[in-house]
Amino acid sequence: MLNNRIIALIKRELREKLMTKSFIIMTVSVPLFMLLILGLQMLIMLYQGDKGTRIELITQSESLTDSYKKYLAKLDFIKDESYIINYNTLPRRSLKDHIEARKKEILSGKLNGVIYVPSTALEDKEVEYYSKTPNNLNLFQKLNNHINEVLIDQYFSEKGLTDEELEFARMGVRFNGFKVTEKDELEKQGVGNSILAMLFSFLIYFSLLFSGGMTLNSVLEEKSSKVVEVLLSSVNSRELMTGKIIGCTITVFAQMVIWLLPIVILVTTTWIILPEWLVIDINYGHLIYFLINFLLACLIFQGLYATVGAIFDNAQEAQSGIFPIIMLIMIPFFLSFTLMNNPNNNLAVVSSYIPFATIFVMPLRFTIVDIPVWKLILSQLINVATLMLIFPLAGKIYRVGILRTGTKPTFREVLRWLRD
Amino acid sequence: MTDNTHALEIHGLSKSFGDIKAVNNASFDVPEGSIFGLIGRNGAGKTTIMRMMMNVYLPDSGDILIRGKKAGQEFRNSVGYLPEERGLYKKMKVLETLLFFAELKGKKGKAVSDTAKGYLERFDLMDRMNSKVVELSKGNQQKIQFITTILHNPEFIILDEPFAGMDPININILKEMILEKKREGKIIIFSTHLMDFAERMCDHIAMINYGKIILNDSLSSIKTRYSQKNVTLTYEGDISFLENNPIVEKMSDFGNSIGIRLKDRDQTQELLRLLLNNNVKVKKFDSEDISLQEIFIELAGRPTGEDFYLAE
Repeated sequence: MLNNRIIALIKRELREKLMTKSFIIMTVSVPLFMLLILGLQMLIMLYQGDKGTRIELITQSESLTDSYKKYLAKLDFIKDESYIINYNTLPRRSLKDHIEARKKEILSGKLNGVIYVPSTALEDKEVEYYSKTPNNLNLFQKLNNHINEVLIDQYFSEKGLTDEELEFARMGVRFNGFKVTEKDELEKQGVGNSILAMLFSFLIYFSLLFSGGMTLNSVLEEKSSKVVEVLLSSVNSRELMTGKIIGCTITVFAQMVIWLLPIVILVTTTWIILPEWLVIDINYGHLIYFLINFLLACLIFQGLYATVGAIFDNAQEAQSGIFPIIMLIMIPFFLSFTLMNNPNNNLAVVSSYIPFATIFVMPLRFTIVDIPVWKLILSQLINVATLMLIFPLAGKIYRVGILRTGTKPTFREVLRWLRD
Repeated sequence: MTDNTHALEIHGLSKSFGDIKAVNNASFDVPEGSIFGLIGRNGAGKTTIMRMMMNVYLPDSGDILIRGKKAGQEFRNSVGYLPEERGLYKKMKVLETLLFFAELKGKKGKAVSDTAKGYLERFDLMDRMNSKVVELSKGNQQKIQFITTILHNPEFIILDEPFAGMDPININILKEMILEKKREGKIIIFSTHLMDFAERMCDHIAMINYGKIILNDSLSSIKTRYSQKNVTLTYEGDISFLENNPIVEKMSDFGNSIGIRLKDRDQTQELLRLLLNNNVKVKKFDSEDISLQEIFIELAGRPTGEDFYLAE
């Protein structure tokens, strides 16, 4: 299958791409970029932008108002004046006038809102919030539990409960995940694997996009520099395409192996100890599966990118051809993220066997949940079938397109190339 | 049909692009050890035929036989091909480029590297061995392109419009190289729309017009066949009196000279007499001589525009 001509083409591709300045920059910059994204996300999460929030909390009884005053005063975001709360006690009938009186302050932003906890809240827990932005999720998230806990205290205060019993009543339920596997022991699982699954998806996504661009430019360059006809006098178009695709695939595969090295170290050594909630529970099997999946994904997408490169004359024209390919990468990528919460739901299971989607979904699922080996093999057979289907078609288009210059071909013309 | 003296045979080759028939049932033979010229105006179908010979295009129909066998990869390995649209990897270094193309033809190692350096020396490019192709002048890039064509010592050298865009010095270098390769027994096939070059260099000719081969023979046979009633004249004076003369069949003006076709080959002396009697100063009078240009015009009609002309 690989003759001397293809090997010569692969060697040239590697000489041009592997261990070059751009390869090194790319290899270093992607992990840095990902760290930057994660860091930014953390920063955004930490920054809630609600410092200096002014709230008026009104109840219908002095005792409830006092309870809130005492309880909330202990909270950090009250102590550091992130939230400044004024307390008030008003009957329901005066509320409307009171809000009317506060209207100017609310509209000018001096007062963020008024929380009204009526006495009925002790029965139905319905609380009102009057504001310019009445659906402030950040505020609800911050105050929800605390408002509730005071109501619980009030509700049970006359029932003769001990402090322990009250404490218990206040507590929410905490889920601890234990992974059930073929193994005998049940393992408590943190979020390490979920983060890793996310990382895997990111790496496939970045790598396919960047390497695709690399292949596309390489084909376009051969067309524009007219070197392609010289090449085709020595090799046939199938050999030329194969050499290019394998050369590019080896390059990005090497890059992926470099990116995975820290994970290999993490998994196989005890040099780095992660906290329990972050422990990664994978083995070599996961990594090998991931790499096989990635290899096939690379071959599939390099084939598609090379074909688009052959159809068009320059990068600008090629944009319209790349768009569907980018969609084939982006849709499964985002799909895989939405499936992270429940990697065994029907959509996740079905998409694990859909061409192109399986490239992202199956590695993600396999990292989070146990998947039987035959299902893993099946998903890779789907990748192989996709490859086998794409390559002859890509080869036909490539053969005609690579020597074609001039006006941008129509979709119908490209279909005709397939028939010729 | 197979003739042992023919290195390459083209049988009934056709190729269409949509509704345009670029090559229409073309057949010709290339004898062993010859310089073969495929001539015709721009767009006649020369490049398409060459691309089909190189398997760059698949023919719609027809066969290409190399010494009686269908052309395959073995043939491609034994061919050096210089396409009309030259192209090299711009960022690759000169020596790397040469060795890469030789490797595609199955030649690698020290021997080919030494040969490459030898050619670089000969073309005065040894000091540019490690330069990137893009750093070379256009003329030097053309030299590199030509070295890639012959570095693997091919048996067949196929050159598509080899002189296009070359300055006179490089044209001479290329001509010398072509003749040298002929002396080594290589088969050289080149296409050109420059009739003068073809006439001066080729042993055999195939003339193509609108995708059809309209003539295919040795240059000497062609000339003998078409020159019998022909006179090429260089003169000073007015020869308009010949236009309606009963002995003249046709006159073709080529600027510096004029081609006169007589109705009968025995009327040459009479023509000379007529010229002298009409005070025309005869500078050159070649009977039974005809240029390829004249033959082409006779066969295909005068082309329009400037797509077909004599070389300077």
